[in-house]
Parts: sequence; C-alpha cells; structure tokens
Amino acid sequence: MTRKLVGQVTPDEKNEIQSLFERRNGLNELAKVLTADNAELYEKLVKDMGETGTKFQNWWDTMARKYNWESSPNGNWEINFDTCEIFLNAE
Amino acid sequence: MGNIKDEAAQWLDGTAANITFIVTKDCQLACKYCYLVGKNDKERMSFLTAKKAIDYILTSSLFFGRQKSVILDFIGGEPLLEVELIDKICDYFKLQTYIRGHKWFDAYRINLTTNGLNYHTKKVRKFIEKNITHLSITITIDGNEIKHDLNRVYKNSGKGSYKNVLKNIPLWLKDFKDIGTKVTISSADIPYIKESVLHLFSLGIHHLYTNCVFEDVWKEGDDKLFEEQLSELADIIIDNEYYKDFTCSFFSENIGKPLDPILENQNWCGAGKMLAVDAAGMFYPCTRFAGYSLREKKPIIIGNVRDGIDKNKLRPFLTLDRTTQSPQKCLDCEVASGCAWCQGENYDAAETNTIYQRATAICLMHKARVRANNYYWNKLYRKLELEGQREEFEKNKRKVKPVDC
Amino acid sequence: MLQYLVILLDDTSISFCHYSVNKKERNLISLDHLRKGIRFGMVENLMIQFVYPDYTLPQEYLDVIDTIDHSSIKPFAALDSGTDIVVIDDWECDATKLKDSVLVLRTNWKQFYENHSKLKGLLNVVQRLNVVITDLERMNDCDRENYKAVLEAMCKDIEALYVDGKSPQFNLLTDRMILTEMNNCNAGDTTITLAPNGKFYICPAFYYNDENDNVGDIENGLVIKNKQLYKLDYAPICRKCDAWQCRRCTWLNRKTTLEVNTPSHEQCVAAHLERNASRDLMLSLRSKGTFLPDKEEIKELTYLDPFEIATRWK
Repeated sequence: MTRKLVGQVTPDEKNEIQSLFERRNGLNELAKVLTADNAELYEKLVKDMGETGTKFQNWWDTMARKYNWESSPNGNWEINFDTCEIFLNAE
Repeated sequence: MGNIKDEAAQWLDGTAANITFIVTKDCQLACKYCYLVGKNDKERMSFLTAKKAIDYILTSSLFFGRQKSVILDFIGGEPLLEVELIDKICDYFKLQTYIRGHKWFDAYRINLTTNGLNYHTKKVRKFIEKNITHLSITITIDGNEIKHDLNRVYKNSGKGSYKNVLKNIPLWLKDFKDIGTKVTISSADIPYIKESVLHLFSLGIHHLYTNCVFEDVWKEGDDKLFEEQLSELADIIIDNEYYKDFTCSFFSENIGKPLDPILENQNWCGAGKMLAVDAAGMFYPCTRFAGYSLREKKPIIIGNVRDGIDKNKLRPFLTLDRTTQSPQKCLDCEVASGCAWCQGENYDAAETNTIYQRATAICLMHKARVRANNYYWNKLYRKLELEGQREEFEKNKRKVKPVDC
Repeated sequence: MLQYLVILLDDTSISFCHYSVNKKERNLISLDHLRKGIRFGMVENLMIQFVYPDYTLPQEYLDVIDTIDHSSIKPFAALDSGTDIVVIDDWECDATKLKDSVLVLRTNWKQFYENHSKLKGLLNVVQRLNVVITDLERMNDCDRENYKAVLEAMCKDIEALYVDGKSPQFNLLTDRMILTEMNNCNAGDTTITLAPNGKFYICPAFYYNDENDNVGDIENGLVIKNKQLYKLDYAPICRKCDAWQCRRCTWLNRKTTLEVNTPSHEQCVAAHLERNASRDLMLSLRSKGTFLPDKEEIKELTYLDPFEIATRWK
C-alpha cells in the first residue's frame, strides 16, 4: 500500500466532511442500540443514515471534480482533518 | 475509487466540554502514589443517577451551552469494573442526544483510563467493538517491571500488577492506533525513569505523557537524580534517533521560559470548566474535589443532579488566574512555563479552605526537568543541523500536549 | 494594613451588617480580654469600634472603654449621646430620636419594598443612612426588577433633597458619586474583630457562623493565613470593577462562592443596580447645575455582573 499527497481542501470544506463523518459514525453506533421496537425512532434513524451517506458521497464526488485529484482503480482517498490534506492510498 | 476513509482528527483541541462519571470508587489495585485516599467498594453509581445527570446536562445551558462537542470521561477506582454500566450510560447519551436533536450527537467522545487488568474480558471487548469510532482507552503502564510494580500493586496481596497488564498491551495497541500512555513519577521510581521510557517504546507505545505527582513527596536530591535520568534518556533518544517515531512529554520545546504576568496569566488547570458526578449524584468541578480524592479538606460540591449547578460556586474557578494564586517566587521564576499545578491538590494542601493558594512542592523537579529539556533540544537541534535534517524534523514533528493531571 | 479593630462587647451585641446574631444568651466579654483588646488596638495603632448589646454595661466596663478614643455602635434601644452609629431593624422606630445620627437600617427585601417610602423621611433627619439588605444573597429576578424600580424612585427623592439645599448621605445612591476608588468593608485587610471569647475573627459574621473559624486570639496574637486574599488586588472580579460603593462582603462571598475574594452573582447585580442608579442621579443633578465638578462621570455599562466579562480580562 502506498500513500501519496494528492491535494488539499479549504477549512470550510474540511469542516463540512468532518461534520458528516461524525454524524455517520454516531448514526452507525446508535443503530447498534436502537431496535425496530421503537418504530418511529428507528425509521428516523434509517432515513438519517441514508441521507447522511448520500451527502457524504456527494462531498467526495464534488471535491474530486473540483480539484481533479489523482486516483487509482483500487485506491481510496483519505483526508487529514488537522491539515485538510487529501491522500491517495493505492496498492 | 474504492472505500473512502477519513483520518480521525485530534479532538477539537481541548475546547470540548468534559463530563466525568465517577462510576465506582473500587479498584483491584492500591497504587502507592494514588491520590484517591477514600477508595471503597461501596460507592457504585446507579444507572438512574447517571440518567439524571445526563438529562440535566443536556437541558442546562448554564454550564455547557457554548461547547460544540463533549467528552464523556469514565473514572474510578477502576472504571472497567463497571463496563456494563458505562455501556448503558453511553447508550442513553446517544439515544437522548439523538431524540433531542442535540448538537453533541454529532460531536462526542468516550474516554477512559484503565489499569488494563480486565481489558481482555468479553464484556470489555464487546463494549470496545460497539463504540470504537468514538472511544479512546488508555491503559496505564508505568514503565518497566521494577518501576511499575514499585507503585502499582494489588490491594489485597501487595504484589505487582505488571505481568497481568503487559498481557493486554498488544491487544490494546491493535485496537487504538497511535495511542499513548501516561507515566507518573514519584520519588521512589526516579532511578527507573530512563529504562522505563525505553521499555515502553520497545512495547510499541509511541507516545508517553509523563508527569511528576503534585503532592509533597519529594526528598532531598530527587531533583539531581531526576535531571541525570532525563539527561541520560535524552542521549539515548537522540543517539538512536527514537525522536523520529516516538514522543515523550518530558521533552517539550515550550517549557522553561519566563511568563508574562498579563499576556500569560491563564490558569493551568481546567477545573470548573468540566463537571464530575459521583454515585450520590453530586457535582464537582473535577474529580479531585470529590471527597475520596481529598486528604485534608471537605469536598467542594457545586450542585447535584436534582437541583442542578449552583453557579456561584463556579465563579472562583472560572475567574482564577495564574498570578492571583501564585506566590511571588513563581511570579519571579525565569523558567515558569510548563510548570503545572493541580487545582485539587492546591486546595488540599492550602493553609485555608481556598483554591487560590498554589502548591509548589513540584518546584525543584520542574527546574530539573527544564535543565534536562534544554540539554535535549540543544543536542538534538545541533545534530539535525549538522545532518541537514532540521527543516524536515520541524515540518513533521508531532505536537505534544501538556499533561496536567 | 490593619486600621480598625471591632470589639464585640457581648454575644448579643447588635449586628450592623448582613449577618444575624444567632446567640441569645448574654455573654459579656471579660474585663481582662477587653483591656487586652484595647491595648492591642493601641499598640497596633487601630481605631477601635465597640459594638454594644441592648442593655447597659456595668460601670467598670464603661470606665475601661473610656480609656481609649473609639466609636460606639449601638442598637436603637441603647441609643444615647455617646452613640456614633445607631442600628435599627425595625421600620417603626421613632425617627425624631435619630436626628443627625449615622443610621444603619437592616432590612430584608420584602420589608424594603414595603417600607421604602419612609426612607425620604429618615434621610431628612439623619446625617447618614446605610441600608443593609440582610437577605441579599437570596435576590431573585423579581427582586432585581423591584430593587431597580425602588432605586429609581429614591433617586427622585434624593434629587429633591439636593434641590432643597441639603446634602443627604445614602450608601446605596450617593456614595458612588463621591468615591474615586473601591470603598468596601475590607474585613481581614483593614478591619479585624475581637469576639467576647477573646479570639480574633475576620468579621463578626465569622464568629457567629463558626466560633472555630478564628484567626488567632488576644493572648497569642493575630494569625491570618492567606491574608493577601482579603486585599482587592487578589479579587479577580472586584479589582476591575467600578461599583465602588459595593459592600463586597467577605462573609457573604465565602458563604455563597466558598472563597472570600469572590462575590456572588447577587452581590454584583445589586451593586451594579445601585451604581447605575447613582449614574442616573448624577446626570440628573448635573443637568440642573454644577454638581461635583471634580468627579468623573460614571460610565454606562452593558452588564450587571462583571463576571460576564471576566474571561475577557484574562
């Protein structure tokens, strides 16, 4: 696995993905607690998870288009929240 | 493009609210330097009390209105003795913040520091797995076997706990990448500091947060011995280039400078900006003000889960500054920066019932640390300059956070 | 630096401040302690203030007291020609007996709202009036509004007195106009108290609250630990504050915040309502002509509790 710096986003853009990242993690862990017994809340959670997942993916798609980052067929990008740097991890 | 992954950031640079649940006052160990003088196996927090505390905190704008994020800290005694309770408390927090649409649902962390003895148990493994993206656990291992066992002994047998803790270190390092541990120094273990730090590096623990106890335990000559140990350690770290992969907070560039009385007048300690709650549902400005932490003084209770926080009791903590509580020798000190204090120990050691009298038992130890620290950085930077490596080092060096308690 | 020594002559000596006297049995200070207390005051160059009970002291006590220049603080029931400060906590007293006196009126919030209209009459008679709210720390939002309204009404009364050519002295409204720096109780810094048991206390309230909370005794001397905390420079909120007339009660500070140098929210708000009313009074009097021309204008503030901006100072 190699790791390469391929770009950087603005602090505002970083804040946006960090917030979505936190929410996605929170929802995933809440899903382990919540059961379908609480139908109303469960439905809300499922809906939230879907929406957050979509926003999350949209962010990466939008940023990838905007900055035209280098990519790789089996690689993935990751962001360093401290520095706003984007890295490409590739095999 | 395959999976997209994010790196965890340092958690909001210490601006988060901090809520400490004293879930139990029981522990398997009776560490010789432990400040918890009132440990017992009777006071265990009930889930109901924890729920009331969370309900109050989530609805109170008085104390936590401004902080965007929160850290839930679980402390003991040994917190993992109550891992099932902790799990329930965390679940309740998640559920309530979600139901209420509270901002902290998107911004919370769960922290606990453990003696590591129960780390491998099924209950603990289940808890870790369930909460891994929000969880940080620190296992305290104090150094090599001699140093660890000098202080960290079982309460019943008096035997050292090193071997049983060591068994769980690989599992812990697998769970928490890049985690560090806290090393506490008291008088008796000064001769083992160097070997202990190197031992912990060899175990794969890359970051050590080290501090001397604040209590008045130091003997004549301890400072000289301390300086010798740190200087020898500095030589080994530099000669073997351990500084490239490891950090030890003994060596920090920002310590040992005079402090401006106006511009650098902040309190060191965060007591009053955090909240601790115990089994009886009492609120404290930090765990160090709970009865079981105090040798000489009565606890400072700032409220309870039923009536909330008495804001008047918080005022002294929130207006406390460095110069008002420091004696003249500290104000005149030319190596003042980085010299820490614990507000709870200040209170416990003060001549009157005040938090405004700074304890200075640590004075000579700080000065010894500053001398060794100066030696470390002078030697390291000269080496890096000669090798043309200084710029690269500066660019990549990791920030070492100060350890206050 | 110590300047004043308060000597409580009896356990039932009148309270002249926020505290209540919770001892009901008479317990006169011993003549030996009294003599030693006076000697302490003399050698330390302190002005002595004797606080009297409501009964007449034995002649030998009066003779000893007379050996030193002093001030006398007496209850209304013991008022006589030798009284320097008279204390009442009953709004129904005979005001004609108070002519030209320095009067301390102790009252709780409720009585204050019910009886404040009588203050103008008292101010017409007395040389100086100090109102002490005995349940200051229990001020709620309603009290806050009521207090503000009463002070506004009182401003008009005071203004009328000035227009009539009088110079009333009323701690809640006129002191701030005249002061140029903090002028508070200063217990533990400039003032210390000797109780009937021969022990020193920061102020009488500390004695009545807990007899063990002493700072030395007359036999072995005064020992005030962390003495600096009673000084203004060591009070992070107060040292930057300009509500100079505030009582800054050391005992209430400790009772409410657990620290002698930190005032409660209620103390700060009450003092700022007084300060702000003083500002209005001063502006109003100046609009009618020259008034205290050497004094600076009191600035307008956006807060009632300086704690709100305390973090900015840091």
